[in-house]
Parts: sequence; structure tokens; C-alpha cells
Amino acid sequence: MSGLEILGRLAVNVGLALLLAPLFEGVLRKLRALVHSRQGPPLTQPYLDLLKLLGKEDLWGARGAMAAIAPAMALGSALALAALVPMGGTPPLGGTGDVIVIIYVASLSAVFLMLAAFGSGSPYAFVGGSREMMLLLSVEPVMVVALIVAALKSGTLITGDIVGWYAARGPAISMVVAGVAFFLALQAQSGKLPFDIPEADQELMGGPLVEFSGPRLAMLRWALWVKQMVFAFLLVELFAPWPRLGLYPVDLALGLVKTLLVLVVVAVVDVVNPRLRVEQAMGYYLRIAFSAMAALAFAAVGM
Amino acid sequence: MSVSAQGTNDAAVRIKGLLKNRIGTALLGAEQPHADALRCLVDPAVVREAVAVLVLEGARFLITVGIDERPLGRGYAIVHLFSLDAEHLFVALHQAVDPAEARIAAITPVVPAAGWAEREFRDAIGVVPEGHPDPRRLMLPDDWPEGTYPLRRDVRYDFRPPSVPGMAPEPRPAPAGASVIPMGPFFPTLEEPAHWRLFVEGETIVGCDYRGFYNHRAIEKLGDSVLSYDKIPFVAERICGICGFIHSTCCCQALEKAAGIEAPARARFIRTVMLELERVHSHLLWLGIAGHIIGFETVLMQTWRIREPVMWLSEEISGNRKTYGMNCVGGVRRDITPELAGKMRDVLATVGREVAAVRKAIGTDTTLLARTRGVGVLTRDEAVRMAVVGPPARASGVAIDARVDHPYAAYAEIPPRLSVQQEGDVWARVVVRLDELADSLRIIGAALDQMPAGSLRAEITQEIPPDRIGISVVEAPRGEAVHYVQTGGDGRAYRWRVRAPTYPNLQAVPAMVTGGAIADVPITVGSLDPCFSCTERVEAIDVHGGGVRIYSHDELLAMWAARAGRGGSR
Amino acid sequence: MLLAKLREAWICFKAGRVTLRYPFAPHDPAPGFRGKIAVDADRCLGCGGCAQVCPAGVIVVRDADQLTRLLDFYWSRCTYCGRCEEVCPEGAIRMTPMYETATTRKQDMEIHLQVFMGPCQRCGRCFFPPTPLEKMRVAGFRTGTGARA
Repeated sequence: MSGLEILGRLAVNVGLALLLAPLFEGVLRKLRALVHSRQGPPLTQPYLDLLKLLGKEDLWGARGAMAAIAPAMALGSALALAALVPMGGTPPLGGTGDVIVIIYVASLSAVFLMLAAFGSGSPYAFVGGSREMMLLLSVEPVMVVALIVAALKSGTLITGDIVGWYAARGPAISMVVAGVAFFLALQAQSGKLPFDIPEADQELMGGPLVEFSGPRLAMLRWALWVKQMVFAFLLVELFAPWPRLGLYPVDLALGLVKTLLVLVVVAVVDVVNPRLRVEQAMGYYLRIAFSAMAALAFAAVGM
Repeated sequence: MSVSAQGTNDAAVRIKGLLKNRIGTALLGAEQPHADALRCLVDPAVVREAVAVLVLEGARFLITVGIDERPLGRGYAIVHLFSLDAEHLFVALHQAVDPAEARIAAITPVVPAAGWAEREFRDAIGVVPEGHPDPRRLMLPDDWPEGTYPLRRDVRYDFRPPSVPGMAPEPRPAPAGASVIPMGPFFPTLEEPAHWRLFVEGETIVGCDYRGFYNHRAIEKLGDSVLSYDKIPFVAERICGICGFIHSTCCCQALEKAAGIEAPARARFIRTVMLELERVHSHLLWLGIAGHIIGFETVLMQTWRIREPVMWLSEEISGNRKTYGMNCVGGVRRDITPELAGKMRDVLATVGREVAAVRKAIGTDTTLLARTRGVGVLTRDEAVRMAVVGPPARASGVAIDARVDHPYAAYAEIPPRLSVQQEGDVWARVVVRLDELADSLRIIGAALDQMPAGSLRAEITQEIPPDRIGISVVEAPRGEAVHYVQTGGDGRAYRWRVRAPTYPNLQAVPAMVTGGAIADVPITVGSLDPCFSCTERVEAIDVHGGGVRIYSHDELLAMWAARAGRGGSR
Repeated sequence: MLLAKLREAWICFKAGRVTLRYPFAPHDPAPGFRGKIAVDADRCLGCGGCAQVCPAGVIVVRDADQLTRLLDFYWSRCTYCGRCEEVCPEGAIRMTPMYETATTRKQDMEIHLQVFMGPCQRCGRCFFPPTPLEKMRVAGFRTGTGARA
């Protein structure tokens, strides 16, 4: 791709991630309200929340320097992931080792959230941060296995090529299993019940977020919404790339619709579940990781 | 009446005999203030022996009442109240303590459930319980001076002593190797603030300490100073927002017992209907809160949706969604017309159906069960030891219920069916409450069917004589509430003591949370359905240095001012 | 387990949206609702029965002079129990259905009555207000002659 095209796609990816993520969150909130038998906030409520927070005082207590920059870095790394994820076509930033880079960048946002938590100076944030760490350690293997399967089957590490190959080939058992595993991991990555353990406000007063206010809180929330949208997009592009018409705007629109559908399912699961304890969640994801190995086995024998 | 009055009488005689055998002439007197109560005057020197007699007979500790009877020439009265559930008898051991000494042997070593009650009479009356294992302050504020005991008759109800810093009780130290996680003073899961100090190793709890009572409203002091008999039920109703009617019924019943007034049958049935209605709404509310605590907001929303018509019904019957204001001494103030009764039946039929659907749905929900099965276990022994009451007791295999043990209102005619589980975990308490909900609907239907005609209030033609005792218990949704009344001479009570059901239940929390995870503490405490006063303190734990520092109000203000000035905000 | 979740989801969807439009649409409470008190000065006798039974002690009755009795209702502390309404012999104090009592001015939560009384011929203190006299005239009693209607 030419430099201009790259810049253009970069703008589209990052712009969509930044600007549409709150809308998707709004849809999820409305869905939640529907299940709760109440009216719910308007679809644009997350935008209004962000606007409100951006205008508020940024109070800080015993926060360290790392915690001060962590929110911005968390948002930044989520947007960096958006730049690596294919949206409707080849991702703007890519190279020969795409899948590996994605694996690392994917956990960056969570790492910055943890740094924010540990630097907050609050015991609740500390416990929240350690729970985030435990959850990340259990969810990572699932994601990694799924992505390795995709890379193995397609024979390439370049995400754009993987998408193209899968779109042309049609479904494969190993890819389906890997896709299901990735989808289950999505529940924890989006911080949705039954896995919203780090931010459990009933137990930890908001966990890692408890010491943040104003613009920094806005950035942390925004980072979480971008993360959930981008991960869902990665899921649909890698594991369900059909229909693919080859036209960039159309494929992009289709991708957005599929992402929304995936997030709706995530929200429905969220609303009919209580929160699990962190060791229960870890046990659950370890079992998934082992089952996802089956996908590796399938891939190895060529299925 | 299914209660054998003869059986109760026999029990009273037997207890008197046993006490006489054990302490001989130290039993200074015995009388029965009303049919189901035995009051024994005991020499304070042998209080532990007397209590031991009762404990051997299987008596359950209720509460201790500290009364300043110096104006009556009888020193400080310490009354230990027990219940012999099987014989439907209250036993009050009355010790007159010499005001010059102002000390009495603590019974907590014999009856662990009396822990808080003895600390409380030390705070309120100033009689020292000797030998108490934990003699810290319980309910007085952190800046209340030593030597001023609010429930003494010479302290005015609106007296404000000068603020004395540093009177806060010492927090219990954490065991070696454990760090401290504070839960409170403000905490999202607890509807009223409370302060728990959890001693944790990793995510496992190894112990806990509780400080409460900062929102103590001195209702008992009001009861013996500014309130008349007519007004006490209204203030009693405001002891609790969720189970207010229980308290107003209980104090009316205590006053009626003391004065020898009998509420007419129709009034008793109406009280039963409203009591059970309160149980229905309270259990639905609790189900929602329990769901909220474990993150299951949908359960909260849906159970409260099911509950809302019950609130509208209450509004139609009593004039308000809560604090019905329907009780008065001698009966009730409002009637339940046949039209209202018809409406009740319709609403409650719908509620019954919807609750059954919810129960079916959540009964097989494995994620919900994963958070509630095996969590917060209270063994039967511990429940008996700490005299736990209500659904937590019944969920641990202790089959006590004030409606069956000391029948009141119309429960002798319409006995409730108890739900008793053995596991003692959070899920068992959920099951008990769901069963009780279904049974309440049945009782309301039966009461409406059998409602006798007649007047709503007894005619009270005489002044209520002074120096009479009345003891009444009512089964609140949370457990048994106890009201003890001693009548005074000028249309006021001389002493009015209230024990809410959460009082003994909270004392059992350390046993329930130890060994569990931090994540389980909110649901464990929540499964008691606590209705408790709040605390207000801030505790800073130095996670790195392992030290604990308590900040006083002034220090906090200074810290905040310094930070705010230093550019702590933009 | 899936069945449990489906049952739960079904309960939710069957219920639909149940929240009321209040405060964007008015909501009237049930009849007999115990709301804010309303005092009819024309009916008030100044007997002070309401003050005696009020559990919160919000009603203060005092005599300003030989002809005027003042009744002050500091109803910000009212607990809406309805005892005053129950006890009033003239139905002068009533509980209205009004429950929207939030205000930014404390004075809005006070009612002050001045009742003009007749003095007792013997001791000179406030006796009873003209209202019963009016009532007697309306009912046909002739005052001052001892005759009955």
C-alpha cells in the first residue's frame, strides 16, 4: 500500500475505534436496561459521560508518576491495537510478524491498567490490580492459542493475509474451535460479567479505577470501550470474515455490523450472570485453554 | 389457643425450683409479670450460677437490659433476658447492683452470645462487667468522655458533653503475617456504612474485627424521657425502614402485656396480615440485594419489579409504602375492608406466581450456585453458641421462630410452617427466605379468610399502672426482635429496651467469614440481611510497612486542606 | 444451566418495561395517602390536641396574649403518622396527597396559625375561638338565652 493509503487506513481504524466505541457501549447499555425492564440511558450516554468527565476536576491523592500517565498510555495502546487489527481490509500497520505483535500489544492496555492500579495508593486498587493480573494470565493463553491456530492454518503471520486466505477458503474445524475459544476470552477482555472481577464495584469500590477522576477516568473508561470493540473486530475479521466483497467501504461496514452483533451476544451473557470469584474465573479459562489445544491438534492434522 | 398455658406455668415453677436449689437464699424473689414471663430477683454475687442453671435447661440468651433504678431506690438493675423456646417462657434474671460499686460478674464467659449486650450496659449505665473478654467501648462515640453514662436518669436526653479526643476503642491487632483490608466506613455493598477490618493472607480471611454504632440514635433514651406510651410505637416504627411494623407491633404488645390490655381479635388478625406483608416485601428486597452483591443486577431489577405492587398495596392499606403507622397501644388504627382484601388476594397471587418462576430459574443457575453454595458457612454449634436468630439460624439447623415459640397476634390460630435447612451456607439462607415468602402468602390468605369481625382497638379506661414489666418478641424478616418495657408513673415508660435481630447475628460474622475469600465477605454479611447502625472512621493501612494508623477527624481535615492547597486538583 | 439462563431471560422479556414516566409525567398516590399536612385556620379551635399527640413534637401551641393563640407547625420534622388528623375534633388538620415537598427555603416548611379566641370571663385567659359560636348560630342554637333549638 502506498504511504497515503496507510495514513488513510490508520485514520479510519483509529478514528472508528475512538469514535464508535462509545456508541457500541451505548447499545450494550440499552440492551442491559431492556433486560432489566427499565428505560435505560440514551444511546449517546457514553459520549455524554466522557464529555462530563473531561470537564471535571482531576483530583489526586497518593498517586505515583506512573499512575499519572497510565490512563493515557492505556488508551494509546488500545488505539495502537486498533491500528494493527484489520478492519475491512489490510491493517494499516503490519509487517511480517503481525500475529506476534498483536499478542503483545493486546495485553499492553491491561498492563497499563494494572500499573495505574498499583500506583494508585489504595488497597482496593491494589487488590483490583492483582485480580486484573490473575485474569490476564488466564485469558492470554486462550487468545494466544487461537491466534497461533490461525497462523498455523494459513501458513503466515501477516493478519491481512490470514483474513484473505480464510475468506477465500471457507470454514475449517480448527478455526471454528479457535474462534469459539477467542469468543469466550472476549467476555473477560471486555470486562463483562461473569468476568468483570477487577472492576467489581460491589466488592472493591471500582478496583483499579477508584482513585481516578475527571479526564484520567475518562481515558480509562474509553480505553476499556475501545478494547472491547477492537477485540470483537479482531474476532470477526479473523474467524468469521464472510461475506467478503473486496470493496473496502462495504467490507468495513459489514465488519462493524458483525462486531456489533458479537458485542450484543457478549452483553446478553453479561446480563444473565453474576460475578465469579477470581480463582473460579481462572479455573474456567484454564479449562478453555486446554480445550483450545484441541484446535491446535486439528490444525496440525490439517483440518 | 394451641399454646399450653399450663405447660408454660409448669416450666416457670420448675425454673424457680431449680434456681432455688442452686442459689438458695440468693433468689430474692420471683413473680410472673404476665403469663409467659418469669422474673427472678437474684443477688448479683451469684449471677453466673443463676445463668448457668438456665443455660443447662437449654435457655437461649435474648438480651441484657441495664436500668437506672436509683430514683426507685433499687440501685442499677441488670436484667438478663432468656427464652425457653420449647416451653414458650421468658425468664428475666433481675440483679440489683449497688450504685456504690457499680460492677457485676460478666456472664459472657458462660454465654458467649452476651458479648455485646454486656459492653452496651457498661457504656449506657456504667456498671462494669467483670471478667468480660473484650471490654472495649461498643456504642459511645469516639469523643464521648469517660464517666458520663447516657442512660442514667440524671443525664438529660439532649445533654451534649464536651468533645474528648482519643476515646476510641483500640482496634484488635491483626494476627502475625496477615494484612488488613478495611471494608467501610463507606462501602458500596453495605446499605448502611459499617466498619469491618478483615485480616487477610492473600485472598483468604484469617480473622475480622467490627466497629459499629456510630449512627446510634438514642431511641431508648427518648423512650424514657420525651415519649408517652402513645408516641412510642411511632418512633419504634422508625427504628428500621424495612421492618418498622415489626418494631411497632412488638412495643405495642409489650406495653399491652405490661398494662394487661388485650387487643381485640380483629386487630390481632390485621396485625398478622401486615406483619406477613412486611415479610413478603422484605424478602423480595433482600433477594434483589443479594443478587446485586454478587454482581447479578438482573436479579435485583426483576425481584424489585415483582415487589413493587406489594408497595402500592401497602400504600393503599396504610397510607404509605413503608412505616405503615397502623399500630397503637390496644389495637390498630386502620381497617382492612373487604375491597382491600380482594385487592390483596389478587396482587399476592401474582407475586406468588412470579416468585415461583424466579425460584425455578435461579435454582439451577450454576454460576449463581457457584457463588452461594458452601460460602459463609455457619455451623449449628456456632449458631447456638452466638444465639443467632431468624433465617440464618434456621438455615443452620436451629429451628427457632418467635411466631411458634412465643405465639402472638394471630399465629396461634394460623401457625407458620418453618423452613429449616442444614447446610448453613448462603444458598441455604436463600432457600429459607424463599420458603418463608411462599408461607407468608399462605398465612395472609388464611388470615384474610378467617378475619373476625369486631372493634379495631381495645377501650383503655384506666391509667397504665407504674412499675409493670412487659416482654414481647416478634419474628421480623431478619429474625426475632425483642422489646422489654418497664412502665413509669406519668404516662411514660420507665425503660424501653429494643433488641433488633441483627444484633446477635452480626456477632456471628467473624465465624462465618474466617477461612473464606475477600470476594465472599459482602455476600456473607449480606446473607444475614443486616439492618444495622453505621460507623464512620477512616483507617489507613500501610501496605508496605505493615502498620496501621487511625486518623482522627481533625487530622483528616488537615490532610485534605494541605493536599487541596498543594495543587491536588486542577 | 443454559435452561436456567433461558428461563431468567424469558422472565425479563415477558415483563417488558415497567418503569413509570415520573417525573416527566405526574404520579398520584393511592387514596388515603399520608402526605403533607394542610391546616384549615377557619376550623381550628386552638385546642392543642394535635400538639399533644404529635410523636415528633412539631406542633407548638402558645398564647400570644389574651385574645390570640399561636399554633406553629414545623412540619419539616413531620413523620406523616397522621395522629394529628385522627385526633382533631374539627377536622382542621388534614393529610393531603402531596408528597413532593422538596424546597430550598426552610420557611416553606413552616405553617403559622393565629387563632382569635375569646377570653374567659373569670380568669381572663384564652378560652375558645369564635368558630364554635358561629357553628352554634348556624345550627340554630340561640346563644345567651338558655333556650334549645
